[in-house]
Amino acid sequence: MNSLIKLELTRALRNRKFLFFSVIYPSVIFLLVSNQTGKVDGTGLSVASYVMVSMASFGALTAVLMGNSERIAKEREGGWVRQLRLTTLPGRGYVLAKTASAAVVSLPSIVVVFLVAAAVRDVRLDAWQWFALTGAIWAGSLVFAALGVAIGYLASGDAVRPITMITYFGLSILGGLWMPSSTFPQWLQDIAKWLPTHAYAALGRAIEQSQAPHAQDIAVLVAFFFLFAGGAAWLYRKDTLKA
Amino acid sequence: MDPMTTTATATAAPVVGFDQVSKTYGSVRAVDGLTLALHPGETVALLGPNGAGKSTTLDLLLGLKNADSGTVRVFGTSPREAIVAGRVGAMLQSGGLMDEVTVAELVKLACDLHPKPYQAKDVLARAGISQIADRKVNKLSGGQAQRVRFALATAGDSDLIVLDEPTTGMDVSARQAFWATMREQADQGRTVLFATHYLEEADAIADRVLVLHRGRLLADGTAAEIKAKAGARRVSFDLEGPIDEAPIRALPFLTSLDISGQTVRIQSSDADATVHALYGLGVYPRNLEVAGLGLEQAFVAITAAEEAKQS
Repeated sequence: MNSLIKLELTRALRNRKFLFFSVIYPSVIFLLVSNQTGKVDGTGLSVASYVMVSMASFGALTAVLMGNSERIAKEREGGWVRQLRLTTLPGRGYVLAKTASAAVVSLPSIVVVFLVAAAVRDVRLDAWQWFALTGAIWAGSLVFAALGVAIGYLASGDAVRPITMITYFGLSILGGLWMPSSTFPQWLQDIAKWLPTHAYAALGRAIEQSQAPHAQDIAVLVAFFFLFAGGAAWLYRKDTLKA
Repeated sequence: MDPMTTTATATAAPVVGFDQVSKTYGSVRAVDGLTLALHPGETVALLGPNGAGKSTTLDLLLGLKNADSGTVRVFGTSPREAIVAGRVGAMLQSGGLMDEVTVAELVKLACDLHPKPYQAKDVLARAGISQIADRKVNKLSGGQAQRVRFALATAGDSDLIVLDEPTTGMDVSARQAFWATMREQADQGRTVLFATHYLEEADAIADRVLVLHRGRLLADGTAAEIKAKAGARRVSFDLEGPIDEAPIRALPFLTSLDISGQTVRIQSSDADATVHALYGLGVYPRNLEVAGLGLEQAFVAITAAEEAKQS
């Protein structure tokens, strides 16, 4: 299985468009929107440190969601998944390799945003906060990796891109990764706080505020992880029987 | 596991054993009570018209699908166990390949995943794709992609090689080169099973031909036996004057009759006896020809006879 992870990774790193959107693009948006002084209402965080967590989360989300869902749908249709089933690779090995390679790409997309934020916008945090942020955002991206796999097994080759895009932008915008959800009308805020992306960014912000993460955010993330992973596993099994 | 028992079961069990296997999709019986056994070292062709159940049969054999009833055993174990043990290499008809990686990287992956791998560069050379090793997989022609699939199927020392329509998309010379490569595999003592719709390939390459029709095994034997089963020989001749059909139709061993103009064409399961009786009719046949049926005609005759029986 390691050789498949290695090859998936080689392929991901070779894909410039994918690398641009998952690694460079979040930092570019960060630079564009963090150029304000002052604090974000009700958080005590500077705009730069607030947006840094949003964009690091957004970058990780892009890396784990965008590539995999489309690849899985296409490779399922093209028959590569069938071909792999004729090897010693265990059934779930394909999905694990995809997730592992996405996780490797998502790490630099997080770290690059942090480096840019610290170097250009003077964001300063304690050492433990940098590590905890990296760890929390990286681990939290698994929720969306599971979602990417589920979409890949749910959608057919033609439908997968629009479905992924709608999910991706919907979750990013409504979850408050692009602008603070406190700017939304109240009814939308009531919906947004139950979205996994909202809980995901809130996790990072709690660390920046030196607070323990809110129980509700953790609960939302865990619930969505089981929902997405369970859905992916169920769809995977269905697909295997169909072959 | 005790190595002695492993060897004992391996020699006792056929390479592939289907026992009363059925598979239904909706109301269609794709495979219908199929029973067959393949033995070590055989090169077997699986023939059948489209929709005969060839691909389903191979999917069942490879564990890609589960049978509704009956059992499929490969080397005495389940298909999946045989694959995990590295005993089966397979090439699917539309086996997708991983995009955006090179041919060499993909073949290396197949070698890494095989329990008894060969060197990737040897696999590339044997499949005749060394010179395109650095090319991206998604930039290959149909024939080149088939060779890459073949390389994936032969990345390790497997005992059974399964190929579904392996020469689809290849031109004649590529096909000949492909079968030469395939012969080497068979000569090393491997069992080879291939599905094809090129009957001349089955005729030239297979030791044994299985004819599948509507999910059932219609014929099983050497190409020569299949031809014999169909009504082995074709007799044709010209007659002058008006032709009296009845006595000709009554000739012994005649299996089919076609009269067009002055020319009479007969298929006979014993051409010697038929021709002997023909002279007994007191006619004077001109341009008499007696020839063997091609496998293609035999195949058509067998499946047409089955269609007639069923309707």
